[in-house]
Amino acid sequence: MSAMDDASEVGRLMAMEGRSMTGTVLLTFEGRQIEGRQGESLAAALMAAGERVLRVSRTGAQRSIFCGMGVCQDCLIEVDGRPNQRACMVKVDRPANIRRQRFGEERAVGMAPMPPRLIGDVAQEKPEVLVIGAGPGGLAAASAARRAGASVLVVDERPLPGGQFFKQVAVEAGGVPPDRQHREGRRLIKEVERAGVEIRRGIEVWGAFAPCELAVMQDGTIRIFEPRRLIVATGAYERAVPIPGWTLPGVMTTGAAQTLWRSYRRLPGQRVLIAGNGPLNLQVASELAAGGAKIAAVVETAPVPMPGSLHALARMFGASPRLVLDGLRYRTHLLRAGLPVLYGSTITRVEASGNALEVSVGASAAGPKSAAGRSFSVDVVCMGFGFHPSNEILRALGCEHDHDAMRGQFTTRLDAETPGKTTVAGVFALGDCTGLGGARVALAEGTLVGATVAADLGHRIPAELQRATQKAREDLARHRRFQAALWQFYAGPRLEFELAAADTVLCRCEEVTLGEVDAAIAAGSPSIGELKRATRVGMGSCQGRYCGPLVSAMLARQQGCELDERFCFAPRMPVKPIAVADIARRSSA
Amino acid sequence: MTDPSSAPHPRVSEISTLVIGGGIVGTCLGGFLAGEGDDVAVIDAGWPAGSIANAGSIHVQMQSQFMSDYPQYIPRLERSLNLYRQAVPFWKRFQDDLGVDCELRITGGLMIAEDRRQLDFLSKKCRREVELGLDVAILTRPELAKLAPYLGPAVIGAEFCPAEGKVNPLLANTAIRRWANGRGAVLLHEEPVLRLELEGKAFRATTSRGIIRAGRVALAAGFASKDLAAQLSIELPAEADPLHMNITEGTTPFIGHLVQHADRPITLKQLGGGQVVIGGGWPAGLGTPGTIPIVKLSSIIGNVSLAQHIIPQIAQLRIIRTWAGINTFVDGCGILGRIDAVPGLFFAIPGSAGYTLGPLSARLVADCILGRDPSEDISACSVDRFSAP
Repeated sequence: MSAMDDASEVGRLMAMEGRSMTGTVLLTFEGRQIEGRQGESLAAALMAAGERVLRVSRTGAQRSIFCGMGVCQDCLIEVDGRPNQRACMVKVDRPANIRRQRFGEERAVGMAPMPPRLIGDVAQEKPEVLVIGAGPGGLAAASAARRAGASVLVVDERPLPGGQFFKQVAVEAGGVPPDRQHREGRRLIKEVERAGVEIRRGIEVWGAFAPCELAVMQDGTIRIFEPRRLIVATGAYERAVPIPGWTLPGVMTTGAAQTLWRSYRRLPGQRVLIAGNGPLNLQVASELAAGGAKIAAVVETAPVPMPGSLHALARMFGASPRLVLDGLRYRTHLLRAGLPVLYGSTITRVEASGNALEVSVGASAAGPKSAAGRSFSVDVVCMGFGFHPSNEILRALGCEHDHDAMRGQFTTRLDAETPGKTTVAGVFALGDCTGLGGARVALAEGTLVGATVAADLGHRIPAELQRATQKAREDLARHRRFQAALWQFYAGPRLEFELAAADTVLCRCEEVTLGEVDAAIAAGSPSIGELKRATRVGMGSCQGRYCGPLVSAMLARQQGCELDERFCFAPRMPVKPIAVADIARRSSA
Repeated sequence: MTDPSSAPHPRVSEISTLVIGGGIVGTCLGGFLAGEGDDVAVIDAGWPAGSIANAGSIHVQMQSQFMSDYPQYIPRLERSLNLYRQAVPFWKRFQDDLGVDCELRITGGLMIAEDRRQLDFLSKKCRREVELGLDVAILTRPELAKLAPYLGPAVIGAEFCPAEGKVNPLLANTAIRRWANGRGAVLLHEEPVLRLELEGKAFRATTSRGIIRAGRVALAAGFASKDLAAQLSIELPAEADPLHMNITEGTTPFIGHLVQHADRPITLKQLGGGQVVIGGGWPAGLGTPGTIPIVKLSSIIGNVSLAQHIIPQIAQLRIIRTWAGINTFVDGCGILGRIDAVPGLFFAIPGSAGYTLGPLSARLVADCILGRDPSEDISACSVDRFSAP
């Protein structure tokens, strides 16, 4: 496993034996032998083997993969005796004994004590430029800074660079060739590496300390980066819309299902229903259908496109014809396959029925929740209701943020003149983590911010890069126009917790229900901190990433205030949970 | 919001007692006074019972780290030992009054030693504490293996104090705030006291919302009491001591005791939900006034790896959160009671281990305010000791 470090010699030998010529690896899950493909995630291998229940919570609830990108912490499994391994992040590369993680069994029995260590014992690096995130924006920034002569290190927590947009193919299987989006990403990664940028994979940033100190996990131990300039390009993660049944195994984000297919060539299930808002859902429906899945329906909260939205479509076409053509292609695929797209609708409830999920669909607009609906029986429900910026590192470093009520997100306060310059000296940021704009915006911003950072460090900007930044400025304006029109095209009710019942879990990790949060607010919980302490909402493994925005909005609304940072959970270290052993252990290298 | 207003306070323009500082001490004090009919308001620059974090250790035995670092303060520490001893049964009764299970668990505390020298130090300390009336004992490795099998092989012995334990501050703070509110104490939040002055025989406090006139003032603001006292020309040696804390995700409970170290900064315990709380004196940075203290990476590494060293079984648990609380450092003893120089002014600053001593200290100061003799001797805690020749 790439995230594992203490592979003994025996383990290595076993690995060599277990790895067959065809790139398959023998895995054991709960005593049952299953076959994994070299390079895929454990989650992909387990889903393909029909093993959906990966974790059992404190209350005995069954959990599975949800976000598919290392954020939600719901797919925790025990791998070769080590608990808390995210199935979606651990790569299959040698035989492993996997167990379902049951709450309370995390103790390390027979663990030898390690001598205590101090910060001076920890490896430190001082890169000139550190980029966090190897998605489109981070890669473009690295490329630009490098082309101006800066020395650049890019870190990404995933085994492969490319981020959530380029989702690189990790497993060549099923005879499906990489598509244009894959190839574009691959070209960019190659270009960045050829320029002399080091892209370090599987590096998780777990701590960010002012002014600019980053603590990461690398090769099974911790390490510290103190870059001269930091570029944060951590992207976004999917918004939570709690509905009854949204924690059931088989309910996952659209992005999670897409990763299973685009990166690992595994289908999340045979019968799939995709619900939410925005163009990604259509794209994934089209991709999964091409991969052989049966799409029961795409359920879209936005109303049926009307003449007004055609105007938005025209503006989108003016800004970026290719993206519109892509969208129409996905739509045509679905039409041709006879798959229903239900506009003005939302899923309202998911129930388990044997191995299947029964999904109820109702009207998405405000109105009686009892709107006569349809129901579907499927294996997998994908939820894609839009995104939230991943701004945890920026908030931890003290960068200021403002609430954008229009889009229901916090945006990083950036300098009006200097691209990507945050309110903290030396810290730059771009792309979705600073406010949603999509991959094309991130690519353009990356070029601008990379060049800015290099110039800030005293590097001369070559003519070629000056031309590139000029083009990036034009692209940026164009893609912002596109994005605005896209949002208008997909304008629908922005669902938060309207569909949750009193006993629906809001906080997935601590299993706190809407009813409990409501009761605590009604009992006079005065601040978000107090609400957290009273109910434990947001205190679990995902650190409030999913429930936090919902609870902040509830509290602000209840107090009749505009939402601002006072209503958000205070940024706390670590930004990702980190095992005690990982802090204590010296490098095995 | 923070501009001083010259208008009378909209809610409490004239009151009998103003308690400044709404931590556990001030909120308890407000509740005790209100319960006896006093017209009292508790004011906090942040949120009452919650603006500065607590860890919830119930300490009784003397802190060996403190003794090594400040040998000159050992006599003070010894004189406050009785308060610690009385604070534990008081907490139990207080929890009953709150009517809420705050997870107060008196399961005993272990101060562990890793070598002969540390164990010798503990043995000497133990003998002295027994002389002072404390129930403590030295345990050998085989005894420890039975009592605390979770301790790792690095531990060779420990001093055991059965009166120690822990309480869950998340539950307790909320319960105490409701209790004080229910008894009629006015709790003012997010309202800093900008100026404190004498006005005849009474006090005039200028807050961000207006002027409060109070017959009596109790300073219960920990280290922040220093600046307030200075406005009344009283020098108070109470210093901010920001301390680092780490907490793991929950698991099944297996650490039954409050665990400390004879010679290294660590305090460790497990809450009812199975989260292991690791602290014990690693430094944090003080933020600008009004902001939370700043957590240091060096403290995470040092504190967490030390915890793993003494209890290897926590190795696979994940640190989910860190934060810093601000301890108040005096001289091994708190500052409690009245002051001759300023009639009507009272101090409610238990100093270190404020969470252990909080409810009892508040009760004793409430008695002083109400003109009664407090049930325990607090003469060692008098503020007059700093002006004595």
